[in-house]
Amino acid sequence: MAVAPLEAPARSFRERLLGRVDERAAAERAVLILNDVTKTYPNGKVALADVDLVIPEGDFVFLVGPSGAGKSTLIKLLIRDELASRGQVVLDGQDLARLSRRQVPRMRRKIGIVFQDFKLLPSKNVYENVAFALEVTGTPGRKIRPAVERVLALVGLTAQRHQLPAQLSGGEQQRTAIARALVHDPRLIIADEPTGNLDPLISWEILQLLLRINELGVTVLMATHNADVVTALRKRVVALEEGHIIRDEVGGTYHRMD
Amino acid sequence: MINFVAFSIRRAWQGFWRNAVMSIAATATMVLMLLLLAGFWVINTGLLAGLEFTEEKVNVVADLYDNVTPRQVEDLTAKVEAMPEVAEVTFVSREDALRRFRDNRRAQNEEDLTRFLDTNPFHQSLEISLVDAKLYSTVYDRLVVEPSVQVVKNQQDLVDRVLTVTNFLRTAGGVILGVIAVIVLFIIVNTIRLAVVARAEEIDIMRLVGASDAFIRWPFVFEGALVGFFGATLALAALAAGAEPLGGFMYDFFRVLPLTFGSLSRDVALLVLGTGVGLGIVGSWVSVRTYLIR
Repeated sequence: MAVAPLEAPARSFRERLLGRVDERAAAERAVLILNDVTKTYPNGKVALADVDLVIPEGDFVFLVGPSGAGKSTLIKLLIRDELASRGQVVLDGQDLARLSRRQVPRMRRKIGIVFQDFKLLPSKNVYENVAFALEVTGTPGRKIRPAVERVLALVGLTAQRHQLPAQLSGGEQQRTAIARALVHDPRLIIADEPTGNLDPLISWEILQLLLRINELGVTVLMATHNADVVTALRKRVVALEEGHIIRDEVGGTYHRMD
Repeated sequence: MINFVAFSIRRAWQGFWRNAVMSIAATATMVLMLLLLAGFWVINTGLLAGLEFTEEKVNVVADLYDNVTPRQVEDLTAKVEAMPEVAEVTFVSREDALRRFRDNRRAQNEEDLTRFLDTNPFHQSLEISLVDAKLYSTVYDRLVVEPSVQVVKNQQDLVDRVLTVTNFLRTAGGVILGVIAVIVLFIIVNTIRLAVVARAEEIDIMRLVGASDAFIRWPFVFEGALVGFFGATLALAALAAGAEPLGGFMYDFFRVLPLTFGSLSRDVALLVLGTGVGLGIVGSWVSVRTYLIR
């Protein structure tokens, strides 16, 4: 199967009216642009080499590849835990390398992150875990309750709001984490192996939830080893191997189909 | 801003109680370390007071000729008093000297032999107490050349020996107190650090959801201050309970109580409270810092 061209970004009303996509406007609307990015760690290991990637607004992208291929490094660059050794990482129009330390937290609020191990605070209940993301970013108290209620309804956890993480199933814990990732109204959800700790049925549930969130207009980047899910959904697939993008196709599968 | 402070204090309070085991362990360590520090502070203060008392005993005694008139004594007294090294000048007349000698003999239950004498064998003298025992030789040199002074008892050797001992004890006290202070510093900061490390994941989550450094740091700083405040309060309560027996011990040990208990307890209260809260804040600040710099 030939490598398919990048899926065109969702076109705005104005563009549909004019029937023409300005290339620069498209680049500006891209949530994420990686331009010739190389990441070399201090020990000399090259984790990413010459990576070019554009993720338009509203896209749903699977990031696949064996362990050590560079997926984690890529995610660290996106949340600016690490800086690229060469090239640019542009998130929502801003070059991450040019952000001052003070600007980084504000940028991170545009990204919602979901991890394999959920990273919930065990001493806080579902509601508090989600509200925590707003509290620690200085959101005024009166705005917190409606925002938390909204995302809890979205992930279907309104009834479990007063339960502690230990009282929840794995799927419910991950849904809490997704609610927390959503509560800032992010431009991009990064899910790092979100189904890695879950059984197949629950994994599908989580995936359905991420798809629904994507339908609401949030861009989703999901790193995964779950071949069944990737192959079944036929979304855009970016495959990494030894720090290079070896495949970037729309409607792709987990493994290369030759 | 008020919101931020209220948020930080509320989070600090929650953080303290939700991690009760860690918080109580840190507070207990704080109490013990502050007691250690306060104890050595009190002992050192007593030591210094005792040494000062000893050094005050050093004085210069100048015997005057018998024919020196009261007028001349007055002039000399004024002259000596004007010296910056001199704290006080006391004139002892021949009668005073004799009476003092007799009182001493009686106090020691010794027979008073002076009653067999026809004349008073004592000379009139000036007893000069010094601002500082180190200045003994200066004052001695000045008095020896005075025409009305018959003899000045030379106690330089004795003074030197006293000063050697007191200086050694003073230095030793200071060094021990310094070492204790450093130990207390490291143990408290490390304990606070452990409490922060135990919550590394919480800090990590805060960073990932986009909390600014200030929002991450200040709740921990307030929490450290809280641990310090609780620790200091408990330590002071323990000290207050033990103040009376401690005071008795101090008196028995140093044989002097020239230190006013009021000023000592004020100093100790400030020391304990300042060290506790200060180290709580510094410890938290330093510990959280390692998680913020990336």
